[in-house]
Amino acid sequence: MRATFVVAFVVAASSIATLAQAPAGVPRGADGKPDLAGVWQGSSVRPGKWEDANNGLGVGGTGKDPSAPPSLGSQQVITEPAPYQPWAAARVLESYNKRGIDDPAALCLPPGVPRLVLVSLFPIEIVQTPKRIVFMYEYMNVFRSIPIGEAHPPDIAPTYLGDSVARWEGNTLVVDVIGFNDKTWLTGTGTFHSEDLHLVERYTRVSKDRIDFEATITDPKVLTKPWTIRTTMMLREGTRVQEYVCAENNQDPAHLELLLKEGAGFRR
Amino acid sequence: MIVSRPVALAVAVTSYFLILGATPRAHHSFGAEYDSNQPVTVTGVVTKIEWTNPHSFIYLDVADSGGAKVNWKLEGYPPNVLYRTGWKRDVTMKPGDTVTVFAWRARLGGPLAHSREVTFADGSKLFFGPPAGTGDGGAAPAVKVP
Repeated sequence: MRATFVVAFVVAASSIATLAQAPAGVPRGADGKPDLAGVWQGSSVRPGKWEDANNGLGVGGTGKDPSAPPSLGSQQVITEPAPYQPWAAARVLESYNKRGIDDPAALCLPPGVPRLVLVSLFPIEIVQTPKRIVFMYEYMNVFRSIPIGEAHPPDIAPTYLGDSVARWEGNTLVVDVIGFNDKTWLTGTGTFHSEDLHLVERYTRVSKDRIDFEATITDPKVLTKPWTIRTTMMLREGTRVQEYVCAENNQDPAHLELLLKEGAGFRR
Repeated sequence: MIVSRPVALAVAVTSYFLILGATPRAHHSFGAEYDSNQPVTVTGVVTKIEWTNPHSFIYLDVADSGGAKVNWKLEGYPPNVLYRTGWKRDVTMKPGDTVTVFAWRARLGGPLAHSREVTFADGSKLFFGPPAGTGDGGAAPAVKVP
């Protein structure tokens, strides 16, 4: 009976150990933690190289019929309706009705977080060491260099991408972000926020090819409750993160300004 | 030569909105600037290509109905996206080449459009720009409409 108990204990203990490990196929760093390093595409569920995974969407591809609808499984952002306070919802709706003509990114300003993760058109490179994780976004060529296991500094000034610190919860890298300015959109058209934005991102590499991403957005000044957005990031082996100097030839603001001036019927 | 496409295309374009609505895909609203209800196909001679950020442009000499040349300006993806889409700068398409471009016209009018697909003289095709309505908020706003 005693032997049975010991066996049961060992089995139970090994099960717990298994649960704490990353799933098979997930690379590990020098510290034994899941290694998120690689070049990734946000808001995608298709495995494979960039060119193969983006056929038919116009992101990559072979130039098939432009009128063909994209595959349903090619992209996803799982989100609930944004829980904006009524006055704030009206402002989001106004941007939507103006077809996003007021998008700050049209001025080549940095897009917000988690928008940077969700934009699928441009890859993201992750470099990881035991004490630091670095996200390099091709879109707007911005980066986040994030310490692992440190606290936020006491003297944070508001910025576009905020101040990020990371920690491990089991196999999930949890990134806590505060210190935002109020000049970015969280995700889709018009999704503004205040400087009180507090973002918690969770990155879980569930296989060699996939990171499950979840962002919980808290902003009591504009939201009625926390808002959670989920998507997946897919590994894109062979893809390079390239230069993107947005200010080079940005002719769109002039067009958009003229459009506003002439009221050329762009509103919904 | 300028040819408008049939209604079937507009229906297909609308389906893009429904599926991609929640996914931000480009740096600004093509949907505000260009009209997805005004598809246009132009054939002409490439006079200039700007491989620039945030967007590239093709300039195309197109004969209008009276035979006069009109220089169309067609906006598209930035160079890094074009590279991943299969384009090679200064190789795939050069000034002097005759190409056909499927696009959507600017709401402001004139020979300005948002390109989607380029068809080359040998019949091969590549995307030069995103689907219609990209960045315009999609089929539904992020918030519930009361």
